[in-house]
Amino acid sequence: MTINKVEKYRKPIRILHWTHAFSFVILFLTGLVLFIPALGFLAEDGWTRFAHRIVAVIFVVAPVIYSILDPSALVRGLKQAFSWDKDDLSWVKAAPRYYFTGNEKGMPPQGAMNTGQKAWWLIVIIFGVMFAITGMMMWKGTASASISQWLVLIHDISLIVTGTMFLLHIYLVIFHPKMKGSWDAMASGKISVEYAKAHHGKWYNEITKGKGKGS
Amino acid sequence: MAEKAILYDATKCTACRGCQVACKQWNENDEFIPTIQNGVNSTNRGSYENPIDLSPQTWLKMRFTEVEPSGGKLRWLFTRQACMHCTDAGCVRVCPNGSLYHHELGFVAYNKDTCTGCGYCIDACPFSVPRYTRNIITGFAKMDKCTFCTSQGLDRIAEGIEPACVKTCPPKALRYGNRNDLVAEAKSRVQVLKLKGYSGANLYGENELGGLHVMYILEDSPDVYGLPVDPQISGLTAAWQNVVQPVGWAAGGLMVAVLGLNWLVARRAGVNKETK
Repeated sequence: MTINKVEKYRKPIRILHWTHAFSFVILFLTGLVLFIPALGFLAEDGWTRFAHRIVAVIFVVAPVIYSILDPSALVRGLKQAFSWDKDDLSWVKAAPRYYFTGNEKGMPPQGAMNTGQKAWWLIVIIFGVMFAITGMMMWKGTASASISQWLVLIHDISLIVTGTMFLLHIYLVIFHPKMKGSWDAMASGKISVEYAKAHHGKWYNEITKGKGKGS
Repeated sequence: MAEKAILYDATKCTACRGCQVACKQWNENDEFIPTIQNGVNSTNRGSYENPIDLSPQTWLKMRFTEVEPSGGKLRWLFTRQACMHCTDAGCVRVCPNGSLYHHELGFVAYNKDTCTGCGYCIDACPFSVPRYTRNIITGFAKMDKCTFCTSQGLDRIAEGIEPACVKTCPPKALRYGNRNDLVAEAKSRVQVLKLKGYSGANLYGENELGGLHVMYILEDSPDVYGLPVDPQISGLTAAWQNVVQPVGWAAGGLMVAVLGLNWLVARRAGVNKETK
């Protein structure tokens, strides 16, 4: 029996995702050593900072290249991150029970991104920009002492928000029994029709509209 | 062990800058000397102050201040610019891996080998003392500042001798000894100065930042000398270290706990694996 699949993420967006994911993990780890005194020896002589800088370039340049090659995707993505409605509120109310017990009661149909994914996407945009701006200013290194302290503080807050949410992101994809399909979405680009209907109902209806009934 | 300190008496200082030289010599800190031969024209800045600022190779320099009171005679004031070795030290607070630490005798020493070159200490210092030269591309850097003559292999204190700057001071404007003794000595000196007519004479560093391990006897208010009157750890340093970082660890820990709980509950509750 063949499983019917639909394309969730195109190849360019998957390449961007994995490039960004890879660079984020390296940046996360090379930054984190400065907050764990026991691991501070890894930062001696500044090699972790050197690595941090190299990977930071990838982190910043990758989405910029993507946006230049496909500006409409950038606009679409930004729109998505900032469109919130009543369904998102009901999702927030119903999600804890769903994620803990599997009870779908009250879960509204979701678009291409569910509310949680959308929140993560919004965080990635906002704090990605914060990281980039404060990081570049720290790299330049000519700011006054108090401005520098602000830069470090904002960079650190960005780390706390994204780092914490990153744990959630990894957990849901790898360990949560209900979310395995989202791994396929970003790995191969395709998800089963069944998963699409169950998790992204609104989106599934949109893409199958006018094409007859989605199989 | 009793805390040690340096006492600098600005009213005895002749600004010979012997301490600057002794510091460089003992700590093997050569300075690039600008000359016409190596392509640099010297600049007249209208002051005896030289070099113009502290640097990774200049841990101590004398600062010259000219005060021209209306109607009075010109005053030419000398003071010392170097690490003040605070008890509550901003640099030690923000150092990510303990490279900066409190020496058992109270002052602020550091291990240059383990320094990461992050530069947080430079921003956190209320006296803006630490310096580094950072490679703009790679970011490689090492912080330097006065070590109280405790650099590895050049540790005068461990040998029981005074720091190089103190040793060399001709008018004995620099003294080294037990901090308590020096405080008592400085106080009586301030009294003497007041009797001599220096009504503004004061001891700087007795209580500032929990007590400095380099104290100054001044004949006027510290701000006249370009010193902060009431030096403080910046609010940003405190907010970052005492609020943001603990909150960050709590947020991360809470997330791990919730995810662990979810893992247990979702499996126990028999959340079926979905077919793909």
